Amino acid sequence: MRPEDVLRAINEARGDALVVPTMTAVPAWRTIAPDAPSVACVGFMGGASSLGLGLALAQPERRVIVLDGDGSLLMQLGSLATVAGAAPSNYTHVLFANGVYQTSGSQAIPGASAIDFAGMAEAAGYAFTTHIDTLEELRIRLPELLSVRGPVLVELAVEEAELTPMTAPGGDPLRVQVQRLRKRLGHEG
Amino acid sequence: MPENERIPAPLIVEALKEAFRSQRTAPPRDGEPLGWLLSVPDTHQKSVIAELEGDGELRLLTCSTEDEANAIAAGLYIGGAEVALMIQHAGLYASVNTLRGVGLDGGVPIFALVGLLSREPELDPADSPRSMVRFAGPLMDTFDVPHALLETRTDLGLIPEYYALSRERSGPAVVFVGRETD
Repeated sequence: MRPEDVLRAINEARGDALVVPTMTAVPAWRTIAPDAPSVACVGFMGGASSLGLGLALAQPERRVIVLDGDGSLLMQLGSLATVAGAAPSNYTHVLFANGVYQTSGSQAIPGASAIDFAGMAEAAGYAFTTHIDTLEELRIRLPELLSVRGPVLVELAVEEAELTPMTAPGGDPLRVQVQRLRKRLGHEG
Repeated sequence: MPENERIPAPLIVEALKEAFRSQRTAPPRDGEPLGWLLSVPDTHQKSVIAELEGDGELRLLTCSTEDEANAIAAGLYIGGAEVALMIQHAGLYASVNTLRGVGLDGGVPIFALVGLLSREPELDPADSPRSMVRFAGPLMDTFDVPHALLETRTDLGLIPEYYALSRERSGPAVVFVGRETD
């Protein structure tokens, strides 16, 4: 699957969900869904799953979608246990598994060919996990993945992205994104 | 209570509640906690953590790492919740990049109670032979993070004061817990 096609499909299905993209999902999401209620994680090494968890706990009536990477998740793998322990029913963790650290030059992640992230999430205690290999199947199953009781982890077999935060820098600084999303959620200052 | 006695955990919990209440613009909705405590367990604060487990107003979430705690705090803050971290000094060192990214670049008011395990009561932390104790304050100075030392009952006001300071500055503020709580 092309990650850009995946993001377009998610944008069409997301409803009023809050979205937390990280690394290679960031530039494309910025273009595909410029008005989505999002906050991007770049530069704090695997923090998207945790930032999304905090959002899900604070906003239990909104779906939260984390657009994570396999390399990023490996940097904070314990977050699978923390998410499972907190058990947010409104949390959908979309894992883009391309097997490489694309942003830094596409070096292979450790154990790239053998890791079963959905299996890890299930073993950690996620309520629902699955693998999806085709865009067609993803489109069909997205409504379920964004409504079933979470936490959900869906592992997607994807190609490398067209852009990375290194080849396509830009977007608003994190501080601006934080305040904009807070304001959008009704919290000034 | 003599000044050198350990601080009872319920007093710290009350100080945290005061800090949260002072920043809330509305009372909690049904089922919503007054605030969240994100903990990676700390020896100095273990009695507080135990006290929180039975508290009906606050919600305690144990995290796998301090990096997670910082990022979860950011999400809670964006979502409108009150939140504080309870970690140890080793975890502060371990998570300093996330503190930088979230707290400084992101302008997220991360407030943390940080246990100074093995701090010698007769020494100023800056004079400790233990690097873990000695460098904690200077590390925060490097990042321009205000910090204070909580050791006795008379210091309890530091908790709401530094919590409010983190909000005013839109950035991190730290209260070091210099001795084990009771």
